[in-house]
Amino acid sequence: MTDKTENLETLMKLSLGGDQRAYAVLLQETARLLRPFLARRLNVSSEVDDLLQEILISIHKARHTYDGERPYKPWAYAIAKFRLQDHLRAHYADRLRHAIELSEVENDLLEPVTKSDISYESISGEIQKLPPKQAAILHMMHQEGYTAKEVAEKIGMKESAVKVAAHRAYKILRKILER
Amino acid sequence: MGNIEELVESLARDAAPVKPVPHPLMLSLGWVAGAAIYLVVTLWLSGLRPDLMQKLHEPWFIAEAASLALIFIATSLSAAVLAFPDLHQMRKAALAPAGLFALFMAILFFAWRADVPPAPLPMHSFECTANIALFSLLPAAWTFFSMRKFASTHYRWAGSVALLSAFSVGALWMLLHELNDSIIHAIQWHYLPMLGIGLIGWWLGKSLLKW
Repeated sequence: MTDKTENLETLMKLSLGGDQRAYAVLLQETARLLRPFLARRLNVSSEVDDLLQEILISIHKARHTYDGERPYKPWAYAIAKFRLQDHLRAHYADRLRHAIELSEVENDLLEPVTKSDISYESISGEIQKLPPKQAAILHMMHQEGYTAKEVAEKIGMKESAVKVAAHRAYKILRKILER
Repeated sequence: MGNIEELVESLARDAAPVKPVPHPLMLSLGWVAGAAIYLVVTLWLSGLRPDLMQKLHEPWFIAEAASLALIFIATSLSAAVLAFPDLHQMRKAALAPAGLFALFMAILFFAWRADVPPAPLPMHSFECTANIALFSLLPAAWTFFSMRKFASTHYRWAGSVALLSAFSVGALWMLLHELNDSIIHAIQWHYLPMLGIGLIGWWLGKSLLKW
């Protein structure tokens, strides 16, 4: 594309007139522009894709607020930032909702989490029903014999996060086994 | 990436011709004109204060009315700008009410200093706030209804400013209608409630303007 800045405004003007081809090119260019912007702010690539889709839908819904007379990029970035903030707010609110008190896991943090009275094999059926990440952590710790620190290094999590995930898994398993 | 391409194709297929919304200046002009007509009609029905001609010779009264009218115009423009995702790239216009509110407070301060001996307080009190709020309902509803068709990325601010705009035209109506010389009464029951109105607008913005 030559002189993209000018082209984006022209493409949007054409799109507002109902030119579907121009609109498809505009959205592709917008996605190309926004992908690195989102990738710098989000760690997981699937999140980038999901959010990018949401932003494109928002641009589609709000296109009547653009008249083609002012620069296109600030308009598109304003919508992208708005959706990114929404996403991050929801993400952190969700993490906060699922957070557990440190005092709750204090005892487990002191204990060696790789030791357990029940063998892995005897409850492997229940373990497979756990969320995939928790099941994988238990598998590595109890089947393959890794420590929480080693698991953390292997799957790119913090050691404390691995212990918390293991603690949650133990809690679920305890409930199942107590039935 | 494949999903993005599919989405782009599907959105492009939906791309019917769209008429862009009016420029914020035209939008706010519409709101100001509508509210001005509403103000004139309401004053015609409710009546002007009997001593209005005499009050129009008092500089602090004129300053109060003029700054209130300017606040109304500036908040209308600000609300219109805030309705656009990128503030129509007119950030300064969105912030315009801040300076006018500062000017208004200064005018009220000097009017209070000039009120010697203090004018007697009227018998009523909160009724004024309630009447202004009732008067403001229609312009507020109209503004919010219009703004919902836009795509505000500052919906809390937009709601707050829109409600302040409607309340300021209500305060202007009260100033021109009520027989009251007490600046203390005006500050307490006409203007201080604007703080609460701003907060209600903040909340309403989140409820009504989020998209």
